[in-house]
Amino acid sequence: MLLKGKWNGHVYRLERPLGAGSNGQVWLASRGGAPCALKLGLDAADLQGETNVLASLERGSRDRPSFLLDADDARLGGRDVPFYAMRYVPGMPVRKFVRRCGSGAFKAAGGHLLDRLAELHEAGWVFGDLKCDNVLVAPGGQVTLVDYGGATRIGRSVRQFTEIYDRGYWRAGNRTADPAYDWFAAAVLWIHALDGERLLRLTRSLPPQHRHPRELMRLVRSHPTLKSMEIWMRMALEGRFGSTREASRRWRECAAGLGGGVPDGIPGWMAGMAGATLALAAVAAVLWFSR
Amino acid sequence: MNQILLITDGHSNVGESPALAASRALAQDIVVNVIGVVDEGEAGRIGAEEIESIARAGGGMSRIVQPHMLTQTVQMMTQQTVVGTIRMTVNKELRNLLGVESVAELPPPKRAEVVRMMEELSETTRLRVALLIDASASMRPKLAAVEEAIRDLALSLQSRQGESAVAVFHFPGEDPHVPCVLDLPWTDRVDGLGKLFRNIRMQGTTPTGPALQRVVEYFRETCGNIKEKTEFALPPHGREDPDVMESGDVG
Repeated sequence: MLLKGKWNGHVYRLERPLGAGSNGQVWLASRGGAPCALKLGLDAADLQGETNVLASLERGSRDRPSFLLDADDARLGGRDVPFYAMRYVPGMPVRKFVRRCGSGAFKAAGGHLLDRLAELHEAGWVFGDLKCDNVLVAPGGQVTLVDYGGATRIGRSVRQFTEIYDRGYWRAGNRTADPAYDWFAAAVLWIHALDGERLLRLTRSLPPQHRHPRELMRLVRSHPTLKSMEIWMRMALEGRFGSTREASRRWRECAAGLGGGVPDGIPGWMAGMAGATLALAAVAAVLWFSR
Repeated sequence: MNQILLITDGHSNVGESPALAASRALAQDIVVNVIGVVDEGEAGRIGAEEIESIARAGGGMSRIVQPHMLTQTVQMMTQQTVVGTIRMTVNKELRNLLGVESVAELPPPKRAEVVRMMEELSETTRLRVALLIDASASMRPKLAAVEEAIRDLALSLQSRQGESAVAVFHFPGEDPHVPCVLDLPWTDRVDGLGKLFRNIRMQGTTPTGPALQRVVEYFRETCGNIKEKTEFALPPHGREDPDVMESGDVG
């Protein structure tokens, strides 16, 4: 099937569908013989929101090859359909990648994922709807983020999210876009990828008032592979990194078995417990000195 | 921007027609959305037609869902109503100023600019959502799901940049002269949301219409003259904006 842009005039040949996002379909296409991915939107304003994010990312990265290639409308089935063309990056969704490459391979991919997120955060955006389906991994572990429908300017309310990845759902914070929102989702993503059945069972059986990051940590600690990343997972769920670059560095340390300790600083939900511990310590000190 | 979200599982049986009350709300620029919440096997019990007609008269949307879908549905409806209202306003302005029917007809660079502005408005416009909850006997087992959905909505509203507030009513009240009861006045905090529907005692009727009417009055009492216009201005021509994709940037 051929498709011609109404404003810019480029012609694309649609080869085969790659997948369906929340607001459109992605096709493998070619333009002048070169492959690209083409997203056909359902709604012009909706797709434009996504195009705007991609365009603003381009500006911050003149030195890298362009990701967004074209944005236009095409006549399809008697009506104008908005679309954009982007660089085609081969890869498979995270869960498929883990099934095919073994659960050890996730450590390399996890580092690359955090690098992608760091670039996005440094450009002033949060990805928002981070989940297994929106992360493509190549066999070597290189990561591409797809479906920017949830991408949100830092400081605004997250435009689109998936419940079980959402820190608001787990009562671990609000839905204002900040880098920690994506760290939280990244931690859930790896639990979902490696231990999906138990995660889904947990979300079905847990009453809402008991949703809490400690339930997720319970899964992490009792899983043979995730357990090795326990320190990183805890810091991600508690939003304890100084920056996404630091999150990425600590992921690699953890993956290499150099976990190190959790730095000082107490998340809100632990503050009460820590207070009690401090009080106990003070009592112990008094007893010691009065001997 | 003002919205009423009615959550119910049955037919109204007392007082004026709920669709009429909803059309009065719309006349005051308050959009009325309706969710019918049913357990499995209960689907036939609900007045699907009534729910649809209330939403239609109130300029909103309606859905029938099971309790576990309530949270997502409340989120989706509230957000889509905001986006839809802003789109309508913007498209009207585009017709007046540029003679095009919608954003989709604009050339890509202009479209990029207008969409950015629409998103800005969705995020910053003042938003008030009053929830009106049917708390009759058959709804009792579903009230926990309703409370969770309200908590979740309040969390999302609290995360916006613009001023936001929710208020919660349930109906019917304890005596025939009180169609509904205010459980929670306007608030923008999630933390204050305790158990909402603790000691509910009421008569056996379902005065959906009068309850809607009462919520509209509440808007008038608390928000003064609520007919407000969304501020709107097309960006001036030729302005250089770092976030606008120039057609030269692509292709």
